[in-house]
Amino acid sequence: MEIVIVLIIVAIVGYLIYQSLPNTKFEKAQNLFNAKDYVQAITVLNEIFEKHVDAPAKLAECKFNLGKQASAKAEKANYFNEVVEIRKRINKSESITKYESIEAKALFEVALIQYEETKGDIDKLNQNIKFIDTVNKKGSESDFSSLKKKHFYDLADSHFKKATDKEKSDKLSEAIQIYNTGKDYAEKSDNKTVRNNSVTRIAICQLKRNDKINLDDVSEIGYSDKSFQKELYYRYAIQLLKNKEYTAAEKVISSDLNFQSADIDKLSEILKAEKNNNAVNKIEEINTLIEQLQKKSLSTEELKAFYDSLDKTINEVKVIDIQVSERISALKPTLFNRLLTQYISAEQFGNAISIIQKYPKFWESPELLKNLGICCYGYTSKGLLTERNYQTVISGWLTSVFSDKVILKSLDDTTWDDNYTFTLIEAIGSNYSQHEETPNNVNYDEISESNISIGATQKELLQQFETIIHKEIQDINLSKLVNDFYDKEKEAIEKVISVIEKDILFATPHFAKQNGFNNEIIEELDNDYHSYSNEEALEAGVPYIKNSNSTVVYQYFYANDLIDKVKAAINSENSIAIKNLNTKENKQWIEKFDSISELVEDKLFNSISNKISEDDENEKLIPVMEECILFSIQNSKLKHQYSNFVANYCISKVNENEIDNFKALTLMKGAYLRSPNNPKIVKNFITLIRFNLMDILNDRTRKINEIYSILDWVKKNNMSQTYKQNSNELSTARREILQQLKKAGVDTSMLDDDNPLAKFNIGNSLTSQGLKMKKVLTYLKELGNNQNSSSPFDFL
Amino acid sequence: MTNPYTILGVSQDADKAEIMKAQMLAMKKKEFPLQEIAIAAKQLLDPAKRLAADFMFPAKIKVKRIQPIQSTLTHQEINVNALNENAFNSLK
Repeated sequence: MEIVIVLIIVAIVGYLIYQSLPNTKFEKAQNLFNAKDYVQAITVLNEIFEKHVDAPAKLAECKFNLGKQASAKAEKANYFNEVVEIRKRINKSESITKYESIEAKALFEVALIQYEETKGDIDKLNQNIKFIDTVNKKGSESDFSSLKKKHFYDLADSHFKKATDKEKSDKLSEAIQIYNTGKDYAEKSDNKTVRNNSVTRIAICQLKRNDKINLDDVSEIGYSDKSFQKELYYRYAIQLLKNKEYTAAEKVISSDLNFQSADIDKLSEILKAEKNNNAVNKIEEINTLIEQLQKKSLSTEELKAFYDSLDKTINEVKVIDIQVSERISALKPTLFNRLLTQYISAEQFGNAISIIQKYPKFWESPELLKNLGICCYGYTSKGLLTERNYQTVISGWLTSVFSDKVILKSLDDTTWDDNYTFTLIEAIGSNYSQHEETPNNVNYDEISESNISIGATQKELLQQFETIIHKEIQDINLSKLVNDFYDKEKEAIEKVISVIEKDILFATPHFAKQNGFNNEIIEELDNDYHSYSNEEALEAGVPYIKNSNSTVVYQYFYANDLIDKVKAAINSENSIAIKNLNTKENKQWIEKFDSISELVEDKLFNSISNKISEDDENEKLIPVMEECILFSIQNSKLKHQYSNFVANYCISKVNENEIDNFKALTLMKGAYLRSPNNPKIVKNFITLIRFNLMDILNDRTRKINEIYSILDWVKKNNMSQTYKQNSNELSTARREILQQLKKAGVDTSMLDDDNPLAKFNIGNSLTSQGLKMKKVLTYLKELGNNQNSSSPFDFL
Repeated sequence: MTNPYTILGVSQDADKAEIMKAQMLAMKKKEFPLQEIAIAAKQLLDPAKRLAADFMFPAKIKVKRIQPIQSTLTHQEINVNALNENAFNSLK
């Protein structure tokens, strides 16, 4: 009994000791924490605060949760502050580390409570920002960052409000400064409203202060308050008007103040008055210049400036008084004529060409076209052609001279010709149907002493010009450029004139393209093709193509271009490029035009011939030629060319031991395939068959299967008539082999299919060498011509 | 190439006799080489070639005589300062 009592006491003491251990107490506190009994847990944790490393953090967590549970702000704040105070009691570094994240959460809650109390007060917001910046944020960095951004957002709002108060009291510089501060906070917090409104208000303040501002590229304004925008643009328009920037003011009024208002109407009235005054000034200026012109005191440069200014003036005056603007417009031809006359008489042909070309549709005036011709001639004869201008000058000259109407103009100004008549019968660029009416002294009668040829005049002019460009251009490169271009332009215009029957302006390609009527010429050529299927019309149109691809002329060009591309691929030995061009669609384009399709084979043949003449052993040409044969629908010449090339190549290379017999046989197969009745190809092909069989027989090749594959192809219905006539070579070879074997004492009965006994020689069998020999002999027999061979019984 | 009319010093309407006379005169004056004078005369005596020489005289374009611009427009007074700058005050 005593023993039992002792044991019970020992157990109780042990239990009490166990209960007082820190770990046991912490476990108890944890259970209380889990049961949300934070008050009891706090009591236990306080007991082991210094004894258990996790106790301070758990204690802080309990207080933090109590703070979160509390409803009154003061009570909450108390709990969170108690969490913060715990730090002072901790003396173990491990405990601190575990505690800090709870502390940061509590500090965040404190900052949040303080933020809620700021209510937009700038000082309080700044103070709380300082608090946030200094406290421990471990593990709660993102929460603090968001909270700080909220402060910035509120600061932006508060500064904007403060700035508007300053602005209302006309403290504009201060207002601008505060708007800028607010804008900075707005940018940090993504407060777009304050940012956009601040930008607009700053501009308004600047305008109120009479600062010069520029609103280009200020995109924020468009997103700001609409009433701010109205005020800004209205004030800006007034500033521009004050600064006499009327064009800019008009732009602002029309695009940014586009609403009904008496005040806006006043702005528009000022603009109108300004335009009126500007028109009055311009008219005074024009009249002064006219006076100087009449007194001949205006220099060519001043006249040019006057002429150049007219278009702008006409547009400016038009909005005020359309009749006055028309009167100013009427000055243009007169001033143009004066200026042109001065340029020509001063031999300033470049300037003259330049103003003629700027004159609207100058080519429709025979007078201007004639003057252009004169200027181009003069410019060239003065040695002024350069690489930059020669095309314009030459095309201008040719277009002028090729217009018979221009030549006829020369008859108007003289009296010496009154005793003559003039005939257009040989005129360039003229036929009877092209003239609806001609002057009285012009006809289409025969040339005589009194009926002068206008064609002869044109030829004389062309000859004079050609003399200049042939002989007087010192720079060799330029001379070549000029003369080549002249020849091309002349040839092109002559072709067009020879096709088109309608009375249109015939221009050289460059002239037509430069002045934008090339498509009219192409359209006429298309019409001619549609009416007469005349492909010469399409050929003539090709140089006139610039940007339109919907015409038949373009299709013709495209088809021709395909051939040129194949020719280029031949030159660069690019068989893949030819293969890529060989499409059904491309072939259809070529087939559409007889003059192109008829010449495809010849053109490719010639290109290949040129390549062969450069190197007649160029193996790369073989696939190129094969692709050309496939590309061209007519291809017999190409096949012949190909076969001969391959035969020559193989003969040469085999003889020089540069390719083996198998490769030669493979190449020759291609040649034989395309020219099965060409004796040269066939004979060489047969010889190569023999060479290859001999190589098999003498173990000189590893390509046995490949060789037999080609020979099987020949056997299988690929023996042409010419082949059959020339295959004796193989029969003969077979016979010679058999004879040599016999001489050497070999029993050939089992090798020779012609020997009827071979079939019955059942008891004996052939070695592998014998079987090989027998196969070669069999192929020689089957590929050879049997007509002249010996009877099978010869061997008996 | 100098204009044959310039070489011979004759007008565009000169007749055959005037051209021949001018040729003799030009040869006496010796302002131009004799060969050029001969070519110029030949050119003006050949109607087709003369027409080519005529081509080099600029065509006269018919235009109206230039007159001062008549207008009833007069200057108007502009007073920007009279505008109400605060018409659209947005901070009322």
